[in-house]
Amino acid sequence: MYGSSTQFQSWTFKDEHELAKLRFQVNCDFIEKFGKNMAVRSYEHSLREFCKKFRDPRDSRIRMLPSVTTTAQHYFKRFYLYNSVMDYHPKEILVTCVYLACKIEEFFVTINDFVYNVRGDKKKAAEIILNNELQLTQELQFHLIIHQPFRPVEGLLIDIKTRFPQLRDPERLRPYIEEFLEKVNLTDAILLYAPGQIALAAVTNAVSRLGENLDHYVTDILFPDEQKQHLSVLIEAVRKIKKMVKNAEPPLADAVRREIEAKLEKCRNQQNNPNSSQYRAHFSEWDDDDLPIAASPFNDDIGLGVERIRSPSTY
Amino acid sequence: MEAYTVVGRIGEGAHGVVVRAKHNLTGRMVALKKIPLRRLDQGMPTTALREIKALQEINSQHVVRLLDVFAEGAGFVLAFELMLGDLGEMIRDATRSLTPAQVKSYMTMLLSGVAFLHLHNIMHRDLKPANLLISDTGQLKIADLGLCRVFNRQGKRLYSHQVATRWYRAPELLYGARQYNEGVDLWAGESDIDQLCVVLQILGTPSETNWPGLSQLPDYKKITFPESKPVLPDAPPDALDLVKKFVIYYSDKSTPHLHIRLSSSLPLCNPLVLAEKPVTTLHTLCWPRALLHHYFFTAPLATPLSQMPVPPLDKKPPPATQEYITDFPLHHITDAVRLHLDSLYLKG
Repeated sequence: MYGSSTQFQSWTFKDEHELAKLRFQVNCDFIEKFGKNMAVRSYEHSLREFCKKFRDPRDSRIRMLPSVTTTAQHYFKRFYLYNSVMDYHPKEILVTCVYLACKIEEFFVTINDFVYNVRGDKKKAAEIILNNELQLTQELQFHLIIHQPFRPVEGLLIDIKTRFPQLRDPERLRPYIEEFLEKVNLTDAILLYAPGQIALAAVTNAVSRLGENLDHYVTDILFPDEQKQHLSVLIEAVRKIKKMVKNAEPPLADAVRREIEAKLEKCRNQQNNPNSSQYRAHFSEWDDDDLPIAASPFNDDIGLGVERIRSPSTY
Repeated sequence: MEAYTVVGRIGEGAHGVVVRAKHNLTGRMVALKKIPLRRLDQGMPTTALREIKALQEINSQHVVRLLDVFAEGAGFVLAFELMLGDLGEMIRDATRSLTPAQVKSYMTMLLSGVAFLHLHNIMHRDLKPANLLISDTGQLKIADLGLCRVFNRQGKRLYSHQVATRWYRAPELLYGARQYNEGVDLWAGESDIDQLCVVLQILGTPSETNWPGLSQLPDYKKITFPESKPVLPDAPPDALDLVKKFVIYYSDKSTPHLHIRLSSSLPLCNPLVLAEKPVTTLHTLCWPRALLHHYFFTAPLATPLSQMPVPPLDKKPPPATQEYITDFPLHHITDAVRLHLDSLYLKG
C-alpha cells in the first residue's frame, strides 16, 4: 500500500521548494568538498606568488607594495563570494584584481609593464584584463577602498614604544608581523574581522614567537578599567584570527592543482572564455552595434577608438 | 541606468558629458557624469577611480555627495546630488553682486569643506570657482575630486606638479616642486577675491629672502613676475589680512632643506605669523584655524545660509561647442570703412 510505503515516507516531498533546497544543498556539498573553494584557495596562493614575483620592467628594483597585494586579495575574495569560478576563470580575475589594486593603491604601472609579468600571450592578457576590469569593479559594487592592518600595526608599535617600554626594541617584531599579515590574507579572517583586530593579532603573535609576553599591555594599558567590557570580544577575535592563520592551508600539490585546472577548463562557462567560439560570436554580435546603450543619452560616447571593450551588461 | 530618466544636459566635464536626471524611484534630481572607457590603453581612468574612492569615504555637507556608481554600457556613471550653479557664476553675475557678508559666508563654507578634506588626508589639488558648486539652498559644496590625492603627512612621496588649473596653481607647483602637501589647497583658497597674478602683486616676485629654498626648485628661472604695488581696492582691511596670511611664501624653518614647505602650506599657524603658536600643532589645525581668523568675527558677519543667493533655476545650458562663422565676407566691412573714411577725407 502506498500510504505505508517508503515512497510516501521518504520520497514524497512537501513542495518544490524542498526539492530545490535539497538539490542546491547537494551541489553545495560537492562544491565544498572538491570544487569551488579549493579552486579559489589554490588561486589565492597564485595571486600571492604573482605579486611577490612582480617586477617593473623599467626598473627591476621596484617591488609590489604589500598594500597592493592585500587589496588585490580582498578584491579576489569578494568577487568569488558572489560569482562562480565556473563563470569567471580565476586566473583571469586574479590578474584583473591585481591591476585594479595597483591603480587604487597608487602603485603606478602601465598596462604594458603590467602584462610583462604575465606568462603567455601579452596582448591577449591585456585585452582580458581591460575587458574584465569594469565587470570586476561592478561586482565589487564600486567599493574600492580596502582598509588594511598596516596602519593599525604602526599605531600599536608606536603605542608600545611609548607606553610599554618593558618590551625591549619592538622593531624586532617586524619580520614576524609581516609574515603573519601575509598569511592572514589567505584566510577568511580578512572578511570577518576588523583590520585593527588583525593588527593586534599580528603583534601579539609576533611577541609570543619571540618568547615574550604582551598580556599586561593588552589587558591593562590598551584597555584601562573603563573599557574593560570590550576586552573579551577582542581577545576572542584575536584568538580566532590566530587560529585561522595557524590552520591556513599550504599551497596545493602541483598534481592536485593541475587536476583542478583541468576540471575547471571542462566546466567553465564558454560565454566568458576568450578562446571559445561562443565568446567570439558574442563579441561580433556586440560589434554589430547591437548595443544595449544604443538608446542611451550618451550616444556620442560609444565610439571607443581603436578597439572596443565588452560591456558588463552583455554578460 | 534604467533607474534614471534624463531630463537635460548640464555641461561637459574633463571626462565626459554631465546630464541632469531624475531618479525614478525617489523623484530626486541628480547630476549624472558618464565616464566612457574611450582609450583602451589603461582601462578605467585613475582619476575617476580616485574620485569614487574619495567620495565614498567622506560625508560632509560641504562636499558634494556621490549617490551612486554603476556600470553603463562600455563605461560607468557617477550620480551626484544636483547642484544649481557654481561659485564662478555667482561672482560673475553682475545683476546681484555679492555683499561682503555673503563673501564671508562662502569663505566659511569653503574653509570648512577644505578643512574636512584635509582632516581626512585628502588634498583636492584643483580648487577653483568652477569646482565650488552652489546648491538650491545656496550652500557651497566642493566638487570634482578627480585630481585629489590621499596624502601622507610623514611621506616623502613625489606627486605630479602638473595639477590645478594654472591660474590657481600654488607657486611651489608653478616652480615645479614635486614634494608638496595640503598647502596647495590653501593657496587656491582665496580664489574668490583674486587670481594668482594679483596674489603675487601683493607680495612681489618671490625671492630667496621671503622664501628660503626657492632657488632649489627646478623651474625657478623660467618664470618671472613684474614687481608692482599691492592691489585689492575693495577689500576690507581684515579680509586683506586673511588673504595675506594665505599667501606668504614660507619654508619650514626647522627642516629648510628636507621639505620645501611654503607659505601657503602653513599660513595661520606659521610661527612667523603667530609667533606664540607651538610648532607641534602645526599640521592638523591649518584650515580650522583659518576659520578662527578675526575676519570671520567682525562686522559685517557672515550671511546666514537661509539668506544666501540661489543660482537661477532657468538658465540657458552652456553651448556644447561654440560655432564661429569663419567664411564671413570680410570685404563688406572693409569696404564700408573705407567709404566712411573717404567721405570724411573728402569733406575735410
